[in-house]
Amino acid sequence: MFKYIWQKEIRGQLYTWKGMVWLLVASLLLSFTSYLLLTNKELSLLDQTELLWLLSKIIIGVALLIVTIDASSIITTEFEQETAESLFLSPLSLKDFLIGKFLASFTLWLALFVVATPYMLATSAGSNLALAFMGYILLLGSLGVAGFTFFVFALSLFYRSSKNTLTTSLILLLALATPALFSSTLKTAPVIGAISKINPFDAIFSSLDNILVDYQTSLWQNWQFILPLFMFCLLTFALLIFTARLFKKQGIIKSSE
Amino acid sequence: MTMPEVITARNLTKHYGATAAVDGLELHVRQGEFFGFLGPNGAGKTTTIRLLTGIVHPDGGDILVNGFSIEDKEQIAQAIGVVPESRGFYEWMTGAEYLYFFAKLYGISALKKVATLLEQVGLTAQQNKKVGAYSRGMRQRLGIARALINSPRILFLDEPTLGLDPQGQKDIQNLLRSLNLEGITIFYSSHLLSEVSELCSRIAILNKGKLIAEGTLDELRQRINRKDSTLTDIFLAFTQT
Repeated sequence: MFKYIWQKEIRGQLYTWKGMVWLLVASLLLSFTSYLLLTNKELSLLDQTELLWLLSKIIIGVALLIVTIDASSIITTEFEQETAESLFLSPLSLKDFLIGKFLASFTLWLALFVVATPYMLATSAGSNLALAFMGYILLLGSLGVAGFTFFVFALSLFYRSSKNTLTTSLILLLALATPALFSSTLKTAPVIGAISKINPFDAIFSSLDNILVDYQTSLWQNWQFILPLFMFCLLTFALLIFTARLFKKQGIIKSSE
Repeated sequence: MTMPEVITARNLTKHYGATAAVDGLELHVRQGEFFGFLGPNGAGKTTTIRLLTGIVHPDGGDILVNGFSIEDKEQIAQAIGVVPESRGFYEWMTGAEYLYFFAKLYGISALKKVATLLEQVGLTAQQNKKVGAYSRGMRQRLGIARALINSPRILFLDEPTLGLDPQGQKDIQNLLRSLNLEGITIFYSSHLLSEVSELCSRIAILNKGKLIAEGTLDELRQRINRKDSTLTDIFLAFTQT
């Protein structure tokens, strides 16, 4: 049954002006970045691996930001626009509802990846890392998107409000993204180093660094970065299961008449 | 012949904080009845409907709908249709698309069913219009069509004619009367007492979460010892004491 929810969301979210605006924003940002990387006198002198490294950060960062913002409203609008009651009066289960919504958010990520593909191809042209670069962006981005989407969905079921969900999600996103941008020297500090080890953003960027700078392209050589990302997904998934149980206990409608 | 009970609530209780929205409610509705459910604002009518349809969980008591416990969500969902108080629609869908979507959720092959329902509620001509462009009356009729998509045996309606003009009210009343004649049990909550007295075979009055009166219109008249009283007189007599 989840496929009907998925299809509804694709039509209602992605094939709308809102969905198109997200893709256009991503496309403009990537065009601007790629143009600068390839034509700016100083930036164009960077090594190709560094260009790829910069572009990968922008692709993952933009995608996570867009998917987080979009996922913040994908569930909560059902409550705010009072469509949830009719939906849950049908035989639709909460599980199917969440799977359908998750697939819709994941589809947005895949659409963003497709939009980013020409930029990745252009920037990695002539490099033997092109395939690994794109493959790892897809893998690491997918794990990051999945983890953040689980977290946003958990908040959505808890708050049932777009505003609260979006604010809390963005706080977490920024809180995790900022330390990932600390320099290597800062990361040697014990506290920042410890945060860095469990931070999904750090895991993504360290893995890309490992691939692009150190040419460690096999999955085995990147497991130490993929594992924390996977753990982040498991943790946020557990949080989603917990809030889903709480949601079931409270009922679809929380307040009195 | 006594028809079987299709809605049973025993000692049903629901609290919101310290307030008892529904307090030890006993309800027994038989198959084929047109059951009117009345009460002042905040009496607990909407909460009762949400409890009976599984949208809200009770704090205590038992509910049986069409012979199934409220825990059997799927069985109950297949047996009932609901026009809830919340009137949310997917505004970007057309009327027909909206019904197709819900038909799929019920696992129904939709084409013929949707066409029949659109005709039944008088929306065939507007089926390809976006729901966002529908008038209030058209939305109400679409909501009823959605509630009928699974050919339910029991139909719950929470203020279905609220805000409609007299013609809109009449159309919905006629539609509900014909559905009841087809054998569908109707659980009907409304503030329009003239409508309830005209349509319903049995009436229950709720106040502060408690059932304070139940019976046919004549039985209720006997209880207040005024044979010529209207439902408004009866309602006021019970709720203002």
